[in-house]
Amino acid sequence: MKTRLCLPLACALLVTGLRADNEVYRTWTDTQGRKLDATFRGIENGNVFLQVRNGYVYRLPLDKLSAADQEAAKTLKPEGLGIPSDPNLAQAAAQIDMLVEAGLKKADQKPNPLASDEQFVRRVFLDLVGRIPTREETLEFINDPSVSKRAHVIDRLLKSPGSASHLFNYFADMLRMADVAQKARFYTYQDWLKQQLTDNTPWNKIVYTMMNADGKLLENGATGYLLRDAGMRLDNLSLTLSTFIGANVSCAQCHDHPFADWTQRQFYEMAAFFGATETYGARGNSGMKGMQKVLASLGDRKLQQQAKNVLRVNALAVENTTENDLTMPDDYKYPDAKPGDPVKPKLITWSDDKTKKAYQPVPVKHDEKLREQFAKWMTSPENPRFAMTIANRLWKHIFGVGVKEPVTDLDDPSASVNPALLHHLATEMVRLKFDLKQFLRVLCNTQTYQREATSHELADNTPYLFPGPILRRMTSEQAWDSCATLVIGADVDKFKGHRGSTYAQAMNIDFSGSASPDALKQQIENAVASMRQFGGGKATAKPNKKTKGSQTEEEQMGLAPPVRNGLVLARASELPQPEKDQHFLRMFGQSDRQIADSESTEGSIPQVLMLMNGEAQRVIGQNDSLVVQTANAQDTPEKKVESLYLSFFSRKPRPDELGNSVAALNNGLTMRDLTWVLFNTREFIFVE
Amino acid sequence: MKLQNQLDPLSRRAFCERWASAALGVTVLHGFGRGSLFAEEAKAAAPSGPGYGKAKNVIFLQMVGGMSHIDTLDPKDGPTQGPKAPIKTKADFQLGGTMENLAKHADKVSIIRSMTSKTGVHAAGQYIIRTGYEERGTIKHPNIGAWAQHFLGASHKTLPSSVCVNRQPQNGNGFFPSSFAPLPILDPDVGLQYAKSEASEEAMIKRLVLLEQLDTGFRDRFKTSEVKSYTQFYDKTISIMSSTDLEAFKLDEEPAALKEKYGKGKFGQGCLLARRLVEKGIRYIEVAKGGWDMHNNIEDGLDEHGAELDQALSALLDDLKERGLLESTLVVLCSEFGRTPKINGNSGRDHHPKVFSTLLAGGGVKGGFIYGSSDKEGMAVADKQASPQDFLSTIGWSLGLPIDEIVMSPSNRPFTVGDKGKAIMDVFA
Repeated sequence: MKTRLCLPLACALLVTGLRADNEVYRTWTDTQGRKLDATFRGIENGNVFLQVRNGYVYRLPLDKLSAADQEAAKTLKPEGLGIPSDPNLAQAAAQIDMLVEAGLKKADQKPNPLASDEQFVRRVFLDLVGRIPTREETLEFINDPSVSKRAHVIDRLLKSPGSASHLFNYFADMLRMADVAQKARFYTYQDWLKQQLTDNTPWNKIVYTMMNADGKLLENGATGYLLRDAGMRLDNLSLTLSTFIGANVSCAQCHDHPFADWTQRQFYEMAAFFGATETYGARGNSGMKGMQKVLASLGDRKLQQQAKNVLRVNALAVENTTENDLTMPDDYKYPDAKPGDPVKPKLITWSDDKTKKAYQPVPVKHDEKLREQFAKWMTSPENPRFAMTIANRLWKHIFGVGVKEPVTDLDDPSASVNPALLHHLATEMVRLKFDLKQFLRVLCNTQTYQREATSHELADNTPYLFPGPILRRMTSEQAWDSCATLVIGADVDKFKGHRGSTYAQAMNIDFSGSASPDALKQQIENAVASMRQFGGGKATAKPNKKTKGSQTEEEQMGLAPPVRNGLVLARASELPQPEKDQHFLRMFGQSDRQIADSESTEGSIPQVLMLMNGEAQRVIGQNDSLVVQTANAQDTPEKKVESLYLSFFSRKPRPDELGNSVAALNNGLTMRDLTWVLFNTREFIFVE
Repeated sequence: MKLQNQLDPLSRRAFCERWASAALGVTVLHGFGRGSLFAEEAKAAAPSGPGYGKAKNVIFLQMVGGMSHIDTLDPKDGPTQGPKAPIKTKADFQLGGTMENLAKHADKVSIIRSMTSKTGVHAAGQYIIRTGYEERGTIKHPNIGAWAQHFLGASHKTLPSSVCVNRQPQNGNGFFPSSFAPLPILDPDVGLQYAKSEASEEAMIKRLVLLEQLDTGFRDRFKTSEVKSYTQFYDKTISIMSSTDLEAFKLDEEPAALKEKYGKGKFGQGCLLARRLVEKGIRYIEVAKGGWDMHNNIEDGLDEHGAELDQALSALLDDLKERGLLESTLVVLCSEFGRTPKINGNSGRDHHPKVFSTLLAGGGVKGGFIYGSSDKEGMAVADKQASPQDFLSTIGWSLGLPIDEIVMSPSNRPFTVGDKGKAIMDVFA
């Protein structure tokens, strides 16, 4: 091999541990005699791409290289994954790879081989847009001869609408987003979050806005975070701390934490930042008081009851009060305070916290600013855990395991399997200004991500050092969205729910005092009438069915998703949150949204019965299903089977698989049977 | 279904081997279900005393909505009495006027009249009475069925160890694996959902053979516990579909007269199904019954729902007794809270967790026995207060669970059966 010319240099690098031993460096010389020590990444449109040791990728016109090197560029096989879409990105990805590889080397482990295009395209679709690629999307990628195609598909997917949908599913589980809470619909909260993800609002801004939101749920969806737990601010805070800054405080809510450092007193001092925040019944909303009269003036009792429901929804609001009213609990048992003592706010710190001086003591003069103070502190780039927590969460989202597990406990980052990597990811998150999509882009461009999934079982308690992603079962939403993709193709991404604005419009009543009692009465009656659209107490996913005269098919798809055998074929993010109990999504593990991060990927007998005999397998195998239609359009049994394989697994069948499938078709099995078989394989529900 | 005979020799061997492992009860889980491994150790450390381990099965009847204690198990004279006067029973205590049939079985039951709970919210109260713990946003707690599976292992070679009838399987496995979750039977007349394939037997066999052929490559490449566990779930499911075990869920096979005796509603049929499942070796069956949230017009509510409970519970006790199953089956009747002694302006009663009643029968429990009491109005506990934790510990005791043993959740937090409650020893014979 020509590239072995540089063997001594490669060995030197091995010692320093900067690059993996399968990377080969070569000294390149340009026409002016300048030298560059780099690996060859490929050649495209007359440019040569060379990656130097710090990960940066140079693009040099071919004719600027020395004659010998021009020859080398034409004959060498490119290293790695092809050409990244920009040099900084390549460098950022390479830095992560170096840290991962250093961790592996320390444990005397090797990274997995690079994944094939087929493995990569299925994985990257599932990880970035939450569904499998269609047959056409797969073929487009596999047949693309460009060396920059991996980088390009990552960029394209991050810009597509499926990306926000997939991230929404992740955060909806983390934030316990449910359609119904506090006897109201939290649609505005969902729509607000979807909009932030579509706009790619920075994470620190999203969280700050949720923590500091004011006003009515109907008018400001961001209030949904605090109102989800209205009247339970201690539970809410416990989740806030573990979810956003990985502080493992849930024990300290009731007693000093037995293992970690947190005390019950510290927990209450943090809770005091919400001591001047009112989430229960909007007592300051003066207009509400006059409502009793209007209520009494309503004719029959049924209407009165419904009107009360409307008013309760309108009363859901976050308001700042002037005084922190938090006191120590009745059963407080430690000597440093008595039950019922008022609690002064105080921020927690970590032993490795460099912000202590910046944030202690809290310079607050007015209690109504307490929450803002907390929000600023928690979401600050200098907070030692905020960036680290979301970085670790997104890493897990992409690789299947966190660098530190569980993701809700980052009290001790040195307990991570690779502390240097964990700290670096936190720094990257800050450098990228909490841009979640840019962060995902970096992760997906790493070699670590683009390796084969680990196929062996780790022994208990063996740290996973990321020789590649782990093999994962699809989340319920990935599986559902993939089923819908099989039936209707990429159109599945088109339908968007937007229930928030419809609901708010129907329910929101102006209590400012300027409206006359008669006008208010009219508003209430209108709200009661339109409440029926949202179906009593149960959540429904009825899309808005206003049809106008001339619509293209695409516009119609945006208004109403297709329904087959009772299944509404829309993305999980646009269906009820969570779906009803017997729905595919729930039986496949969708969280009930009562417990944070509780999506399950475990099997069960009822679940397997559903996969074998439920509606989904039927809808996929019917003649009106896209996957069946596409396969049937092929002229030979071999091509039909190949078409199904591309649709289900994003790959062509191996000869034995082709032979067995065609034999089965000749032996009386139908296309319907064949789709059933592929749908029920482990290969379908697992992500390589 | 003679599936095995129609496979080619190689596939047949693979099938048989895997089905055998499922049939022998090789656990699908990892790191849980210590029953088989540590059975000896558990016995050595086990406590003993009256009633310990007498129950092999539990039928847990959950009255959803808050069953009025005064109108059922703890009747009162005077202003709080409610629509019907107390009635005499076969034992030396009275029952609410709606419990006419149960009165004839009073000699079989123990009633706890001094239950108290801290919450008047439905979901939170149901959570506590099922798990012994308060609901949190950070962890799920297991019910008694899941605890029993943890300590005693699976109760049946193919079917799940827990079933819940007329409700979803929430508040089930808790932090234990999902295979500890109860199998939901949403309608007893329908039975197990999706149990029947649309494909003919012949087509199904061909499908399964092809499935083995096409998926083997993947399974060989990824020998992870997750993939293996799925394959075991498929094997177990296929063996259920092709075995006679499914008959456990078919109520058609019960005589019409017996179905009639239990009552034709979902609760009556659910109780009958529970008895069938006990016979088949399912350890823990919960049957839920709604309709108890009687804020308005409690008289009509009791006429409907009280009567339904009275009929079904009486038939169940009779049936179990006749079949010799009552000694080894603990029947439990409970609710998330009671209802206010005061009748409200809508002729109903409101939520009242301060005092309420539960009932136990069979499984080593005394007959004709009352434990604790409420005050004259049924307003508060008068004697021998019992918490949901005590109540669940009592059930755990009857099942022979080591109720004091601390079990760490996967998140490394310590938990016990019934959250350190005290088993109520007085109810055991």
